[in-house]
Amino acid sequence: MAAYLVRRVLMMVMLLFLLSITVFALFNALPSDPARLTCGKVCTPALLEANRRRLGYDKPLLEQYEIFVSGIFTGREFSSSSPKPIQCPPPCLGYSYSRHQLVLDMIAKAAPVTFWLAIGAFIMWLAVGISLGIFAALKRGRWPDRLVMGVSLVGYSFPSFFIGLLLYQFVIVQWNLLPPPQYVSPFDKPIQFLQTMIVPWIVLAVLYTAFYMRLTRNQVLEVLNDDYVRTARAKGLPERTVVVKHALRAGLTPIVTAAGLDLAGLLGGAIISETIFSLPGLGNLAVTSVLQSDLPVITGITLLVATIIIFANLVVDLLYAVIDPRVRLA
Amino acid sequence: MHRPQSWVYRASALGVVGMLIAACGTGSPSVAPGNTGTAGTTAPESAAAGAKKGGTLYLLQPSTSQEWNQIDPQRAYTGEDLAFFGATIYRSLTAYKYDPDPVKGTSIVPDMATDTGTANPDATEWSFTLKDGLTWQDGSEVTCEDLKYGVSRTFANDVINQGPTYAIAYLDIPANPVTDTADPNSAFLSAYYGPYNKTGQDLFDKAVSCNGKTITFKLNGPHADFNYTTTLGFGAVPNPTDHPGVDTGEQYGQPDSLPWSNGPYMVESYSTGNGGEMTLVRNDKWDPTSDDYRGAYPDKWVVKFGIEDKILDQRLIASAGDDATAVQYGAVQPENLSSIFSDSETALPEFADRAISGFDPYSRYYFVDVTKTKNVKLRQAMAVALDREAILANVGGDFYGTYADGFVKPNIGQDYAPTGFWDTFFGQAVPNAGDPELAKKLITDSGEAAPGITFDFPDSPTNQKTAAIVINSLGLAGITVTPNPIASSYYATVFTNGHNFGTAGWGADWPNASTVIPPLFTDKGGWNLSHVADKDFEAKIDAAFAELDRAAQAKDWQDLNKYATENVFAIPTFFGKSQTIAGNAVGVAIDGAPGAMYRWAAYGSWPYAQLFVK
Repeated sequence: MAAYLVRRVLMMVMLLFLLSITVFALFNALPSDPARLTCGKVCTPALLEANRRRLGYDKPLLEQYEIFVSGIFTGREFSSSSPKPIQCPPPCLGYSYSRHQLVLDMIAKAAPVTFWLAIGAFIMWLAVGISLGIFAALKRGRWPDRLVMGVSLVGYSFPSFFIGLLLYQFVIVQWNLLPPPQYVSPFDKPIQFLQTMIVPWIVLAVLYTAFYMRLTRNQVLEVLNDDYVRTARAKGLPERTVVVKHALRAGLTPIVTAAGLDLAGLLGGAIISETIFSLPGLGNLAVTSVLQSDLPVITGITLLVATIIIFANLVVDLLYAVIDPRVRLA
Repeated sequence: MHRPQSWVYRASALGVVGMLIAACGTGSPSVAPGNTGTAGTTAPESAAAGAKKGGTLYLLQPSTSQEWNQIDPQRAYTGEDLAFFGATIYRSLTAYKYDPDPVKGTSIVPDMATDTGTANPDATEWSFTLKDGLTWQDGSEVTCEDLKYGVSRTFANDVINQGPTYAIAYLDIPANPVTDTADPNSAFLSAYYGPYNKTGQDLFDKAVSCNGKTITFKLNGPHADFNYTTTLGFGAVPNPTDHPGVDTGEQYGQPDSLPWSNGPYMVESYSTGNGGEMTLVRNDKWDPTSDDYRGAYPDKWVVKFGIEDKILDQRLIASAGDDATAVQYGAVQPENLSSIFSDSETALPEFADRAISGFDPYSRYYFVDVTKTKNVKLRQAMAVALDREAILANVGGDFYGTYADGFVKPNIGQDYAPTGFWDTFFGQAVPNAGDPELAKKLITDSGEAAPGITFDFPDSPTNQKTAAIVINSLGLAGITVTPNPIASSYYATVFTNGHNFGTAGWGADWPNASTVIPPLFTDKGGWNLSHVADKDFEAKIDAAFAELDRAAQAKDWQDLNKYATENVFAIPTFFGKSQTIAGNAVGVAIDGAPGAMYRWAAYGSWPYAQLFVK
C-alpha cells in the first residue's frame, strides 16, 4: 500500500510538471497578444513594447517558464517601480495585470464558491440518484421503474443552461420565491447562502441525478442476480440488508469512479451554472480570463484543475479497496 | 474613453465588432419616449423640488463585467465608468453639463475650478483656479499639489498604464531621449518618468506649476479644447507629501487600496469577481456649497458585478424588490428588445419612463488604406457600391444604428453637421443599398481598372455574412473582394498587416471632434488605420486645434469631417445605437424637478448625478 502511494504521488508530480510545460507553451503560443490587450486604447509600438517589457513577455519563453516555476517555490515581486510593489509569496502563480490581483488570491477567492456549489449538488444528486436507482431496480419492469427512468431521461436531456435560465426566470424573477443570487459564505449568512445556492444545486443535480439513477439501477440489477445475493436471501437475511449491504456495495465501484471524476470536474468550475447565477467560482474566473487572454490566470486555473483531477483519480483508486474487499492495491 | 482590458470580450458579447477598440465618451441625443428633448438649463440639483433625497440606487453590471475596468483616476477610460465616478467620488477641474439636449449636454462647466479655464492667446497655456471648500474624504483640503500629482502619475507608464495619455501628448515635456530598446528606460514615453522614478521632474515642474490655488499647464502646441481634456485622466490623487502611503501605484483603486474620494460619496467596500459588489456611502466631508453640479440624491449606491446578461434584462423588466431602484450598465440584449421597445426609438408604454434607446458613443466605418488604394475615385467607387442596407439588416437593423454620413457623430454636439456625402456630393443620391452603376462610372473616371482588394474583418458568423454582402455588392461594380477573416487580435493585426479595407469603430474621448478626426486620419492619435498622410489636411487640423472661438472651431471640424468623408479616407457606415433600461422607481431630476429619463450625451451614459429614488 505504502509503495503504491509513493509511486502514485511521484507519478502525480511528474504529470503536473509535464502539464505545466504544456499549458505554459500552449497558452503562450496563442495568437492573442496579452501585452496588446493591456496596452490601452492608443497603443503605439513604443507603448506596446514598454508594456510587453512590463509584463515580462519580452523574455524568451524558456526564461518566462523558469521565472514562473521559480516563483512557485520562491515567490516573486511585481510592479517593482510602484510605491507599493506587489509581493507574491510562494506558491506564486503570477499576477494579473488586467485585474490587478494575484492569481492565487483570485483562485483562493473563487475556489470556495465552486467547492460549495459542487459539494451541495454532489450530495443532492448522489442521494437522489442512488436512492431512486435502487428503487427502480427493485421495481424492475413495473410502472414505478418506467416512471423514474422516464423522468430521469427528461432531466438528462435538458442542457443545464436551459434548466438554469428556466428556474431563474420563474423561481427568482417571475415568482420572487428567492432573492437574486448573491454569494455569501455559509459561515457568515447561512440563510442567504442557502437561498443563493439551492437553485444552482438543483440545476446541477437534475443533470447528474439522471445518470446516477440509471447507473445505480443497472449495477444493482446486475448484482441482484449474482449467486451470493441469492445465498444471502436463502439465508433469510432481511431484504434491506441484502440490497444495501450486499448488492449495492458490490455495485458501488463504477458509481464511485464516476462520482469521483464528476466531482473533480465540477470542482474545476461549473461554468454555466456559475455564470447564470452570478456565482464567482472557478468556472467563471476561467471563462473571463480566457476572454481577456489573461494568461497568468488561465495557467494557474488549468494547473489547479489538473491537480484536482489527478488527485481525485488517486482517491478513487484508493477507495476501491475500501468499498470492495476483493480489490487489493499493490 | 474605452475599456482597455475588457473591450474585446464586452464588445464581442454585444456583437459589436466595431466597438472592440473604439474609444467612448460621446453620448446620445436620444431621449426617452415621451421626452421630445425639451432641454433646459441645469439648476443646482440640491434645489430640485420633487426629487427626493435618500434610498439606495443600484447599478447592475453584466456577466462580462467582473469589476470596474479601472478606478484609478489616471486609468479610468470608459465613458459609463467616467460618468459614474464623476457623479460620485471624483471631481475634476471641468465637467460636462447635465442636460438632455446633446449640444448643451456636451458643453463644459466648471467643477473644481472656479471657471472653465483661461488660455493664453495661442492656446498653449491654460490656467485653472480651484474653488474653496474642496476636500478629501478625511476632511483635508484638495490642493493644487494633489491635482499636479495626479497628472504626473500618467507619466509613470511603467506602473500606471491603460489609461488616457493626453498629459504625455499635450504637455510641454520632450519625448524620452532614450530610444535604445536594450535600455530599460526606453520604456518611458516621456523625458519625465513619473513621480515614482522622478527622472525629469524639473521638466514636469516647468510644464505644470502651482501658484496658490491656481494650476497652470504649459502645452507643446495649441489646444483650444484643453479644458475638455482636463475631464479625462487629469484627476487629483492625494500627494505623498501630505498623504503618505495613500497612492499605492499599481494597486490604487483596488479592493486593498480603495480610492480616495473628493465627491459626495466614498467607497465603503469593494469586492471583485462575478457576484462582487461596490458600495458607496455618503462622504460627510464633501461640502455641497462647493459643488452645485451633483445632486447626490441617494444615500447609497450599490454596484453589483457579473449578472448574467439575459437575467439582468429580465430583472429590470420585472423591476421587483431592489431592482426597482436599479439601472443597467451596458445594453439590453437583442433578444429582449421586443419585450421593451415597439421600435428602435420607442419604448412600450409600460417602459416609457425608464427605457431609453439612442446613440451609443461609437461611429462604425470601414477604414480604407489610402496608400494601397491611392486613387480617390476608386475609393469613392467602393463607398458607393457598398450595400449598407443589407449590412445594417445583418448586424441588427435599426436597433444597431443609423446610416452614418461621416465620422463625427450627431451626439458629439456642435462639431457635427451633415456632410451630404450620400445625398448630394455625387450630384445624385446614393441609395443605402448601393449604386453599382455610379460606382462603375467612378471607376471609369478614375482612369484605372476596377481594383481587386482584400477585406479584413474579425471572424464571426455575423461578420462572415457581412463579408458576403461586401463581396457581392462591390462585385456588382466590378470590384473583386477577397475576404480576410481574422480570428483574434483584430486591431493588432490590421495595425501592422492591414489590407485594403476593413471594419473599425471609434468613439470620441471627449465631446469634441479633436478626438475623432486627428486620431483617425493623422498619426497624432495612433489610430490611423487608413494611413492617411495629407499635409493640407493636417495643417487644417492644426488650425482647428488653435482656434479658441468654439463656434469657429466647430466649423473647422465640420469641414474636416466633410473633407475626410468625401476623400473616402474611410467609408462611414453606421452611427451606433444601444438600448438600456432602469427599474420603475428610478427618477431623474431635470431643471430642479422630476423629468423624463434621458441618455447623457457627454458620456453616452445615465445622468448619474441627477438620478434619485422615486
